Amino acid sequence: MNFVALFQALDTSQSTNSKRDALIAFIQQSDPLESALAVAALTDRTTRKRLKPNALKQTAYLAFGENRWLFEECYSAVGDLSETLAILFANQEASPETTQPVLANWIHRQKELGRLEFGELAKDLLSLLKAFAKDEAFLFLKLSSGGFRVGVSKGLVNDAIARAIAMDRAIIEERLMGEFIADEDWLHRLQAPVTQDELDGRPLPFLLANPLIKSDLNSIDPSNVLVEYKWDGIRAQLIKTRETIRLWSRGDHDITEQFPEIVDAAATLPPQLILDGEILAGAPDHLQGFSDLQTRLNRKRITHNLLKTHPVFFRAYDVLRRDGEDIRDKPLIYRKEVLATLAVAQSPITFPNTPEQISVMRESAREAIAEGVMIKRCDSPYVSGRKVGHWWKWKLDPMTADCVLIYAQAGHGRRASLHSDYTLACWNSEGNLVPVAKAYSGLTDAELKAMDRWIRKHTVQKFGPVRQVEPRQVFEIGFEGIARSKRHKSGIALRFPRILRWRQDVGANDADHVAHFETLMIDSYAV
Amino acid sequence: MVSKKSCLREPLIIRTPQGLYCPKAKAYIDPWRPVACALITHAHADHARAGSSQYHCALGGENILKKRLGEHDIRAHAYGEVFVLGQVSISFHPAGHVLGSAQIRIHDGHSVWVITGDYKRDPDPTCLMFESVTCDVLITEATFALPIYRWPSMDQVMERLFSWWDHHVRNHRTPVLLCYSLGKAQRIMAEIRNRSDRSVRVHSAVADLNLEYERQGIELCPWERATESEKKISTDLIIAPPQVAGSAFLRRFQPTELAMASGWMQVRGVRRRSTINQGFVVSDHADWDGLIRTVKETGASQVYATHGETRVLTRYLNECLGVAAERLETAFGIEVGADQ
Repeated sequence: MNFVALFQALDTSQSTNSKRDALIAFIQQSDPLESALAVAALTDRTTRKRLKPNALKQTAYLAFGENRWLFEECYSAVGDLSETLAILFANQEASPETTQPVLANWIHRQKELGRLEFGELAKDLLSLLKAFAKDEAFLFLKLSSGGFRVGVSKGLVNDAIARAIAMDRAIIEERLMGEFIADEDWLHRLQAPVTQDELDGRPLPFLLANPLIKSDLNSIDPSNVLVEYKWDGIRAQLIKTRETIRLWSRGDHDITEQFPEIVDAAATLPPQLILDGEILAGAPDHLQGFSDLQTRLNRKRITHNLLKTHPVFFRAYDVLRRDGEDIRDKPLIYRKEVLATLAVAQSPITFPNTPEQISVMRESAREAIAEGVMIKRCDSPYVSGRKVGHWWKWKLDPMTADCVLIYAQAGHGRRASLHSDYTLACWNSEGNLVPVAKAYSGLTDAELKAMDRWIRKHTVQKFGPVRQVEPRQVFEIGFEGIARSKRHKSGIALRFPRILRWRQDVGANDADHVAHFETLMIDSYAV
Repeated sequence: MVSKKSCLREPLIIRTPQGLYCPKAKAYIDPWRPVACALITHAHADHARAGSSQYHCALGGENILKKRLGEHDIRAHAYGEVFVLGQVSISFHPAGHVLGSAQIRIHDGHSVWVITGDYKRDPDPTCLMFESVTCDVLITEATFALPIYRWPSMDQVMERLFSWWDHHVRNHRTPVLLCYSLGKAQRIMAEIRNRSDRSVRVHSAVADLNLEYERQGIELCPWERATESEKKISTDLIIAPPQVAGSAFLRRFQPTELAMASGWMQVRGVRRRSTINQGFVVSDHADWDGLIRTVKETGASQVYATHGETRVLTRYLNECLGVAAERLETAFGIEVGADQ
């Protein structure tokens, strides 16, 4: 069994059990290097994109010559660049190789292609694709250009690995944290004893909070919980060994290099320490919103100027290891005491007497530039994953606005060829509709289909894959924050906008005005 | 729809609220409302509607039409037989779409117009092969007019189908293939027969049409009706129309494994949006190459595209082949998922 066979099994199943079975069989039966590379691909650990989307497009353009528009039509109908090329160029009559390992060879070829100039690359890639069966071409392209997804979670992969080698899932999960080295020894390494240095340097599985449901509030004993704000930043572990200081994100990436000032500040902390906390913009006594933090993300170089204009800091709220000792089993209240002895910015905590006090604190969250509150049981251990009954998050209700659909575009992946990506607009002072948000989700499948039909019938104009529609449909959108923006015509940018509901009861004239957002912005930050 | 370029005369066919209309014959082609005289290309629901006074169709299609529409005045004509209606002569020609499907050729002594209806160029053991008919004006379908739609051979499809079928039987699941009950089901059953001695069970919508196909001498694989009584896993393939997904019909074969046979299955996202796990690319429509080849073979200087990716096809014909082409809005192909 090779990666192609595994993909086919996963792609043609919707049951978790049969996906798990396929993964177990694959891990047990396949070449260990193949399974190592597959695990890296399935859990999004493949670090570099070896072929840029543009390289794929150039390849298609080479084949289509003057009829680029025809390729763009194909891409728009398929909704996925890799798949479009696979359908167009692979040998449809060929059956894919499903036993011999393929991944090591593919990566080698991808590297070779990546070194070529565009013109050469396009020619070579085209002839390579023609020799592939459709699934092979699709996987080859998908793996090299990023964004490979086949509907298995990291948890499911971990579970399958644990079962395949008959080990405890929690242990496997811990041992798979941190850097994943994809070589033929990976399974042996998982089963080998662990050294103190490895323990000190390895991130630990994050404890995830459950959303609070109204009924939970009554069952929570206020005298056995502590409450803190839910900070709007990047969740991370700060890991200090005897030699190094690293920051490890909740998305399982080493993000140390992006935040040098946090590393500097951690110099005074004792070694063999792991803290859980949030990377935030600004300073502890002068917190900034998430939009300021965003300016710091995905930068190639962090300049001195940027460090000055957009500083960040680490606000800790938990200690997982101290002096090389794992203290996750100790109650939270004990861990908080340990945290208090450390010279690091910390999340202030309050002990409520009544549920109402929790409510009141939540109401004040927006003013504190937080997303809501966290309710944590004082006696809770630091467990892995989203276990019920330890931590609850109680977010503020999103801000809302009624917006008019003005553009629609076909979606990607599962939503290919369904017009599911909406550009929504509000009225400005001159009485024109200006875009305020792009929103992708929030409608049911039936609503999406109905809207797709409506969009096709009421298209005013087409710009490639984008349809301008009659401004008649109104949607209520929810969002978490507003920032001023020079890039947007409306002058504002919304944080995490999504469709809450289809307002079939409201006409376009009754949609919100840009002034509505101005009011919200003033309310939320008390500028 | 008068083309400035090729037709100085009155067009032979115009569009009216009832459907495509030939004034000189006083007849409609696949009308979507009841009319006096209807010329029918084939019996799929978006092309054949009940309530007209008189129907003309190709010989072989009349009983299917009756099953679909009920008792009507239906006149069947052998392929190639020329008959006169009003001031034009009309003939039906094989479209290769399903049993009894036809292109319609209309000639008024000056120009020849051909309406393809739905058609395909690939071989199909259950119906006559498509025949290119030389014409001045071609009215064509464009359901799959994008280069991503190119059909794999039936050898390739059947090999995959058999291995999928066997795999799920081994894992104690009933394999269920969803496909259109008129045409696609029988085509797959004939292909099964050509390659194996496997047998299938079919939904009653399929069974009724099987009988008509067999009456006309078309050989299908062994089949029986999937009756209400049996309640167990089947090692025979179940063939049923797509509407049964999630219905009581499938419950008695649980656990089931669903696949769909359709041209739409060429795109992964389309399948993944549905609740169907596996897709087989089988279509009774022309693929991109088939559509382009047909336009070239007919020699038509004017093309109208009626349904599907009409925008892409007409642009390609105009810009790349130098054939004058326009879109023509119709009510055909409305039920996209059914893939007639």
